[in-house]
Amino acid sequence: MIPWGASVRVQWRDRVGRRRGFWIWVPLFLVWLILLPLVLVLFPVVALACVFVRLNAVRLYGTAWGILNSLRKTVVDVDTPEVRVWVRVA
Amino acid sequence: MGDERRQVLEMLAAGKINADEAERLLTALDGGARNGSAGQSAGATSGTATATKAKPKYLRVQVEADESMTGLKGGTTTVNVRVPMQLLRAGVRLAGLIPQQAHDQLDAAFSKHGVPLTLSQIKPENLEELIDHLEDLTVDVDGKDGNATKVKVFCE
Repeated sequence: MIPWGASVRVQWRDRVGRRRGFWIWVPLFLVWLILLPLVLVLFPVVALACVFVRLNAVRLYGTAWGILNSLRKTVVDVDTPEVRVWVRVA
Repeated sequence: MGDERRQVLEMLAAGKINADEAERLLTALDGGARNGSAGQSAGATSGTATATKAKPKYLRVQVEADESMTGLKGGTTTVNVRVPMQLLRAGVRLAGLIPQQAHDQLDAAFSKHGVPLTLSQIKPENLEELIDHLEDLTVDVDGKDGNATKVKVFCE
């Protein structure tokens, strides 16, 4: 299943040393909805390009879809003395 | 019972379990057969037969670097990345889409830069073998003035 959202938390230290930060939830499903018309328009163009470079377009689309479906539960945490960034893909 | 023994032998042939584990599983299957109790022993043997190494679901990479490596004063820097195994498998399939002509050029470029990598050998079955052997790997990188950076790669 493609990821439907991502959670991003950022923290940093202000001038007096206090930790400040924010948390946002990114609705990825809206991003996919916005990108869907673009993908549909580019669909035949990519297929034609695959013919020229001798690539299997069906395999390409299948692999791209597989990569998209595999992104769920990806976690990236970066913790430096100045900034902390946490990203969770749901 | 023959099916379970065959399963164990197939797992051994595929390299998913080693010889010791296969022997233990076969012994457990034989012990279950000798007990003869349909309910309990069937459950025990099927549980034992399927009690193989659970397939790892994620690849974790943890990096810990101190000030001397990062240049950031105030403490260590840690990076923790968890990537689903499915993503790695999909990525390997992506490598398989590269045309053969490009493979040759890329292999030449890699070897020119001292990286002995052959793209055509990156296949899903090779990845499974790598994952099976990637139990827990820790790499210590020596930093400046004896400070060390740790890079840990493991599957979970």
